[in-house]
Amino acid sequence: MLATLLSATLIALDGRVIRVEVDVAPGLPGFTIVGLADVGIREARERVRGALRNAGFVHPPRRITVNLAPADLPKTGTAADLAIAIGILIGSEQFTPRAGRAALIGELSLGGEVRSVPGLLPMVLALARRGVARVVVPADGAAEARLVEGVEILPAASIPEAVDALRARRRSSPRQPDRVELATAGVGDAVSPGAVALANAADAPDLADVRGHAEARRALEVALAGGHGLLLMGPPGTGKTLLARTIAGLQPALEDDEALTATIVASVSGEGPIVGLVRRAPYRAPHHTSSYAAMVGGGPALAPGEVTRADHGVLFLDELAEFSRDVLEALRQPLEDGRVTIARARGAVTLPARFQLVAAMNPCPCGHAGGEGGACVCHPGVPEKYVGRISGPLRDRIDLWVGMPRIPARVMLTGPEPEASAAVAARITAARARQLARPGRALNARISGRMLRAAARLSPSDQARLASLSEAERLSGRGTERLLRVARTIADLAEADAVRAPHLDEAARWRAPAARPLNALAL
Amino acid sequence: MGTGPEASAEARFALQLGSEDHDALAVLVSVQGLGPMTLDRLLGRIGSPAAILSVANGPNGIGGLMSASEVPEAPWRSMGEPVAEAIVEAGRRRRQILDGIARLELRVLAIGDPDYPARLMAIEIPPVILFVRGNAQVLSADHSVAVVGTRRPTEAGRRMAARIGVGLARAGAVVVSGLAVGIDGAAHAGVISERAPTVAFIGSGHNRLFPAVHDRLADEIVAAGGAIVSEYSPDTEPTKGTFPRRNRLISGSSDAVIIVEAGAKSGALLTGSWALEQGRDCFVVPGSIDAPMSAGCLGFLRDWPGLVRVVSGIPQLVEDLGLPPAAVQRAMARPTKPTSSVRLPTPEAVLSGGGPDDREVGRALLNGAEIVDEIVASTGLTVGATLGALTRLEAAGHISGSHGRYRLEGSWAGREPRRLPRAQQRATPAA
Repeated sequence: MLATLLSATLIALDGRVIRVEVDVAPGLPGFTIVGLADVGIREARERVRGALRNAGFVHPPRRITVNLAPADLPKTGTAADLAIAIGILIGSEQFTPRAGRAALIGELSLGGEVRSVPGLLPMVLALARRGVARVVVPADGAAEARLVEGVEILPAASIPEAVDALRARRRSSPRQPDRVELATAGVGDAVSPGAVALANAADAPDLADVRGHAEARRALEVALAGGHGLLLMGPPGTGKTLLARTIAGLQPALEDDEALTATIVASVSGEGPIVGLVRRAPYRAPHHTSSYAAMVGGGPALAPGEVTRADHGVLFLDELAEFSRDVLEALRQPLEDGRVTIARARGAVTLPARFQLVAAMNPCPCGHAGGEGGACVCHPGVPEKYVGRISGPLRDRIDLWVGMPRIPARVMLTGPEPEASAAVAARITAARARQLARPGRALNARISGRMLRAAARLSPSDQARLASLSEAERLSGRGTERLLRVARTIADLAEADAVRAPHLDEAARWRAPAARPLNALAL
Repeated sequence: MGTGPEASAEARFALQLGSEDHDALAVLVSVQGLGPMTLDRLLGRIGSPAAILSVANGPNGIGGLMSASEVPEAPWRSMGEPVAEAIVEAGRRRRQILDGIARLELRVLAIGDPDYPARLMAIEIPPVILFVRGNAQVLSADHSVAVVGTRRPTEAGRRMAARIGVGLARAGAVVVSGLAVGIDGAAHAGVISERAPTVAFIGSGHNRLFPAVHDRLADEIVAAGGAIVSEYSPDTEPTKGTFPRRNRLISGSSDAVIIVEAGAKSGALLTGSWALEQGRDCFVVPGSIDAPMSAGCLGFLRDWPGLVRVVSGIPQLVEDLGLPPAAVQRAMARPTKPTSSVRLPTPEAVLSGGGPDDREVGRALLNGAEIVDEIVASTGLTVGATLGALTRLEAAGHISGSHGRYRLEGSWAGREPRRLPRAQQRATPAA
């Protein structure tokens, strides 16, 4: 007998509905899966066989053919396991579901338990868009699946539970959280343990733990307030990484649409059980040995890369100059367009990648350039070459270049008590709100040049100041615009409506190291 | 060797150059591969630079040049065909080459010219030609002192170079150096802060200024009445060999050479050696025997006992250099009572011109603060205000910042430390 069920698979961040057709026919016992299935799905034969037997059902000794449709869509992963198993039970008439379209998502263990799969959320979303009324999902992924409105979620921890769910007339399911509740679900709803380098606010160091570095702290605040690219440069051991790690505790919570993307990305990346919308802005810190695919995404399943996982958050690249050239070049497109395209023979997939770049590096190979005289053992010209590894497009996206000197012990020991993250985060949130309330509704780092000039509201004398700074620093048109962007953010932090000369002066402090230093003696 | 250096030197002295020859010489030195020896031989056999070019542009130019440069007893010394071809080609491009020089507004000083510096005339292999940007007169100043050193100085070394530059400028001497980063640049900048002339000998052509980061410094040198000088034609690339060759001109056009800081293998020691060979005075600034950037200075002192002298203070240096006693007074003079022709404002006066934030931040820096934390602690200003003030002070040329560290520049760097209020005392954070 033929049984037809719905399930889903993933293409990058998108769920796709697939039809699972199971034909249990007389003939020589056999089990065939057709329909562009990857290795994970073809292995489903063994899992389904064991799971059915161990769950107390019979794996019928008949000719079983599973067709996954549409046939031209490549299917990956293990999400169709449960649908195949239930299809066999229906096909061999071991049970009859009640009428109505139902879909099943879940991976099977040999013991018959239903396990969660990455990408549950986008898969359920895809089914909901198709008008599927009921979806059986793994019990441990129920909370994630319930983020989708308009679908009855039937959690199942094992094959018998899935059978019961499909047989039952109507289960009293828990009330679906409505949109309002989704919107108010606070930061910290989502737990994502186990994800490498995904710091969460709880274990991010507090700014109160960072002593000294007044200049770099200020730059960090400005960068986060305006979404500006930031580069911290300083000798090893000065606290660049520590300072960057405090970012996780400073980022404002995500807006609804941002949070939905973040949650889908978290789901697809398999960052552990998701119990609510991910409201915490991502903070990703891939290691400098990361491969091209790890950074931009790819692999057989088109897994999202770090740039996508940092969408609407911060991508922190420690030891920037040590990243391979290919990987850094691959950041060009996402930095310019806010998305990344992975091209394949079968077609291209475009993933979101609107991240804010924060990077840290040593000023030279030995790490001590710019320190006390004689500390650097590099040959003259070598530090410049080292910094020169950061190529043009990346350079253009770094609005703030910040030197972090070694802090003398007397400052460390006697300096004022550093401000805590909470106070700084409040200012950042307020400054962002000011920016988003302006026409253009974008952070200063991303607003269009025309909007920026309108928002700056420079008086003629301040306009002249900008011109003279730009002249003195020999800034290009783009460099001048960057200066204005940062100045606009500084003004936002000061709750000023117009950008004034002092804001411009401060912004000029963090210009990119000029090809020609301002002062004759700067080297 | 039939045509040794002595013979060539005579040939050169004998040159009486017309304006045609002047131009022809400028064209000839632009030929890659035409060294001083071959050029001398050609001059000896053909006569004048203009005559060489007319041979080159005549029928059978290549053959004519090659036979004129032949050394029968040592054929490998004869000029190769590619060089001869290059000379012919340069002769053809004569107008273009001369236009290029004119566009750069370079003064061409050929050996034998009345303005050719007498000091250089006396060295072993004087350059046949000098391309001068700026004021060529300063090359023949009464008193001329070279200040050289490492490209990777300590902060103290940089300050010392700037102070020596300021002191010598006030004493009326022209400071000569090599426009390199580090000590050279600091010495030049110290002089410029006095709006006094200084001379930079570069190891490349004027079109290939190296290091490129010093092109603004070069502009300022010219603006202050100094000169940038090269013996290479404008398009010559800097190479490993051009700098040591250039060093002989730094020492050669000075009465004395002062090495401020030098590592054990520093090129500045080469300039010192040239100075001794050319009979110039040589001074080193002594440092701690443990300091790597003083190792070269101390080693030089040890290698040449009695020949190399020690800088024990700026007035003492001015005195040891044999500058007139009035110059010693001038070198000592406080900037509040300037005796130099240009009236220099004191840092305090400069500060009073700026806003209150700039004054506060400037004072903190003059008191020894180096990083923003220190400035904030001693001024009580916000970080934002401090950073803005730093930008303005930097734009005014008083300080420079790199890698989060701020240091004094120009006239502020050249200040005698004892006049700094509480110089020894670092800025202490406010309680």
